[in-house]
Parts: sequence; C-alpha cells; structure tokens
Amino acid sequence: MKTIKIRTIVEGTVEGIALVSPIPISFFGGVDAETGIITDSENPLFGESLTDKIFVFPESKGSTVGSYVIYGLSVNNVAPLALIANKAETIVIAGAILANIPFVDKADHDVTILIKSGDKIVIDTTQNIVKLKKE
Amino acid sequence: MFLTKEQQKMLDGEYGYAIAKLTQLIVKIGEVNGAIRLIPIKNAQIAGVSYLTVGEPIFSFFNMLSKDNVKVSVPSWLNPAGMDMKKWKEMGIKNDFAEKQRRIIQQYQEMGIQTTLTCTPYLIGHKPKFGDHLAWSESSAVSIANAYYGARTNREGGPSSLASAITGFTADYGLHKKENRVPRIVVDVEATINHFSDFSALGYWYGEKFHGIIPYFRSIKNAYIDQVKMLGAAMAASGSVAHFHIAKYTPEAEKVDLSYVSETVTFDESDKKQIYDHFNQTKERVNLVVIGCPHTSLEDVKLIDSSLRDKSVKKGIKFWVFSSRKLMQNDKAKKLLTNLEEKGVKIFTDTCMVVSPVVRENYKNILTNSAKAAFYLTRDGTNKISLLSLSEIIERVSE
Repeated sequence: MKTIKIRTIVEGTVEGIALVSPIPISFFGGVDAETGIITDSENPLFGESLTDKIFVFPESKGSTVGSYVIYGLSVNNVAPLALIANKAETIVIAGAILANIPFVDKADHDVTILIKSGDKIVIDTTQNIVKLKKE
Repeated sequence: MFLTKEQQKMLDGEYGYAIAKLTQLIVKIGEVNGAIRLIPIKNAQIAGVSYLTVGEPIFSFFNMLSKDNVKVSVPSWLNPAGMDMKKWKEMGIKNDFAEKQRRIIQQYQEMGIQTTLTCTPYLIGHKPKFGDHLAWSESSAVSIANAYYGARTNREGGPSSLASAITGFTADYGLHKKENRVPRIVVDVEATINHFSDFSALGYWYGEKFHGIIPYFRSIKNAYIDQVKMLGAAMAASGSVAHFHIAKYTPEAEKVDLSYVSETVTFDESDKKQIYDHFNQTKERVNLVVIGCPHTSLEDVKLIDSSLRDKSVKKGIKFWVFSSRKLMQNDKAKKLLTNLEEKGVKIFTDTCMVVSPVVRENYKNILTNSAKAAFYLTRDGTNKISLLSLSEIIERVSE
C-alpha cells in the first residue's frame, strides 16, 4: 500500500475506485450534469461515467460555470465520490464546496501517473493523505 | 485565514446554509491563493447569464439560493444574456431557449441584481473609482476596471462573483494587492494602430504570446476608452491578461514600479499583419457582420452610421451591432437606430455574438472588427471569420 501526502480543499474520508483523466477536464461542456457521463470527445474517458468514482485529473479548464455542473451532478445523484487534482482551481473548488464533494490536491507527484483507473484508493482528509491499495 | 466575527458567523451558518456555502467558497479560493483575509467589495459584475453558457445546472444552484431567500449586499449587475430580451425572435432564437433565458434573468433579478445585461457596465454609468475593490467576472470588463480605472479586481468566475455579490466580500489576493499589479513586460508599439481592429490585433497578439503577464505599453498615442476596451478584451480572450498599463495614459502607469520588467518586446507591422492574416478566413460569400465585442458605445454606433454615409448594406448580408439597452434607449439613440435600420444595420441589445447561440449555428462566413469575437466564434471550427477594420467591412458589404 502506498501513501501520498495531499492538501485538503473539501473534507471527507472515502474509499472507492479511481477514474483517471490524463488531460485537463472541462466540466462545462465536458461532463453531462444529468448523467455523470464524460462528453468531451477529446478525452480518452469519453463515454465513461464519473458517478461514484474517485475522479482524478491534472487540472480543470474551460468556463467558470463548470462549478454549476459539479453542483448539478450532486443534485442529480450522479456525482463522483471524491475529486483529486494536481492543482485545485477556482472552478472545481467552488463546485466541490457547493456540492460537498471531498476534494484534495497538491500531491508530491503527478496524481494522474501515480494513480491508475481501476485502482482502489482511500482519501483521508483527517490525515491529509491518499492511500493506494493496488489490486 | 483571519475572519472577522461577522465573517465567522456567516461561515458557521448563522445566516443559513446558502450564505455559509458561499462564504466557504470565497474563503477556500482565498486560502488556495494565499489570502489571509477577506476584503469588502464596492460592487460585483456577474457572468453566467446566457442559457447557452450556463445550461440546466444553474437551476439547481438557484434552487439552493432561493430556499434561503438570499439577496445581494452590494450593487451588482449582469453580463449579457443569450438573446435580445425584446427582439429575440428576429435573432432567430427558439421559444424553448427564450423561456429558459427569461427564467434565469428573473432568478437573478429576485436576488436584487440589476439586469443590465452588458459586458460594459462602465459605459452605462457604473464607472469604478481608483483603488476600489470589486468582484467582476466578464474578462474584458475586468481588464478595463483594472487598467483604465485603476480599480482592483481579479478575473472572477460566475459563481465566485455571485458569492461576493451576496456576501459583500472577496479574498485579498492577486490583483487586489499592489505588488501583483506591476508590469513584467514592456511593449513598444511600432505598428500604426488607429482602427478598433488594430487595438484588437495588438491585444490578441500580446495575449497569445505572453499568457497572464501584465504588460506596459509604450508609444500608444491618443487612445480613448472605446479603443482601449478592444485592446483589453482581446488580451483577456487570447491570454487571460487581466491588467495592463499604457504609458502616460492609464492611471497607475506613471507611478508603477518598472523594476520587475524582464523583457522588452516590439509590436511591428509584420506582427499586426500576422494577426489579420490568421483571421482572414472568409473565402466564400459573407453572410453576417458582427460589431460590438465588447458592447458598443453610442459613439461607436455613430461611427458606423457616418462610415456608411448614404450607402446601405447589400441584400443577403446581415449587419448586426451589439450594445447595452440603456445606451440605446434615449431619444437621440433611437433616431440613430431608425436611421441605421433603414440602411440595413440591426442593433441588438442585452446579448452578443459570443453568448448567443444563433450566430454560431446559423452563419458560417462572418466579418468582425473584434479579435475577441473572432477567437470565440472560430474556436470549435464551425465558423469562418475575417478580422477587418470597420471601414474595410463597410467597403465590402455596402453599396
């Protein structure tokens, strides 16, 4: 088991399966708030669902109203379990706070390389760590 | 983060769930950006109005806010919507879109936000004062507030500007702090810049090359607000540049600390030509002209009228100008508009070519004098656009 130090943006302790986007994500126009499906055709995760996954991505891009998409995901019960980014930015900070989705950033290494889609991981914001339980 | 007792109460939920969430949002964004306190703002300018840009998720958010019946605590106004609120059918907007758009505006209005629906609040009387702290979100307005008026605002997002409008605070970081407002690059403007499109080309060129870095322009002479807004808008679009200085002109330029400047670059005729060449895409017959990005002033509209002289726009070509309702309401303006309509020029208010769905969907070959408009309208590859000066445009489309 590998432990990664992180910074907590929105608190929460959760365990789940990772879904990793290797490229920056635009929540507005890139994720469907009603279904949780990734609709950005340039993203390798195109067509996959964020719902109940720990969504890992380098950073966000695109319109600031992406925050409302993240909030919409939670209202529609299709939100990810938690979010892990290399760099937290205003769009996702605002969205994760409004939606109460645990959100961490600033690991020592690139999280999109450390973590693979399908990995079982635990986020523990009481200790500011992410634990990787490789299957 | 050090919070006052009042701010702590807001964060702790004493004023309800919505206020707590919005305060938390501002505090967290501040903490991530190194702020140690919140500061009161004078006013807020809120983006995220067009149904095209906010979509369905905005309604879930409005539900949360209306449950607690939140209102803005400082003067606040709205960015353009996705349609002219009166002449939307003429634009080709569908009923369903119009219905959603009206609901969005009504929700904002119920929070006490003024439905100005413009990206140029400073042209309709909301001029920031030197040193004012603001929470503005429209990128061109942010740039003008900082550079032309010497007010202080970061480039807020729709959600964060709304949170500041309601709580009355923003976090003290970025452009709110004097040390972050200094230029790092000096730009010698050697090319001739007269037309709005020249200012726009300069801004676009700079932003694309020097993303996010504050410039200090030398040798720009006789600039006025309508030109400066073209410069600022293009720089913000191509390079997220939120502040700039023009020597002997903008209010901070004279006293600003130039010791952080690490590079001097030149904008010459070939640089200018390169931008015009990049946006020289309309090989087929043009079907639309769009002017008013940012929204036109009354002087801009007069200039269109005087440039047309006694000519009219050719049949089969639409000539659309975007402005704010407030500027186009007085009797003098109305007469001008009637005059222009007879020449085939249509003025729409409350909206623009970028945030309305119809330009992108219905018109493929477009002329504009704004590099910002050209940038956004060509981003997804469906439109062809040419950047030209107003006089060149009129030459091409009138008879």
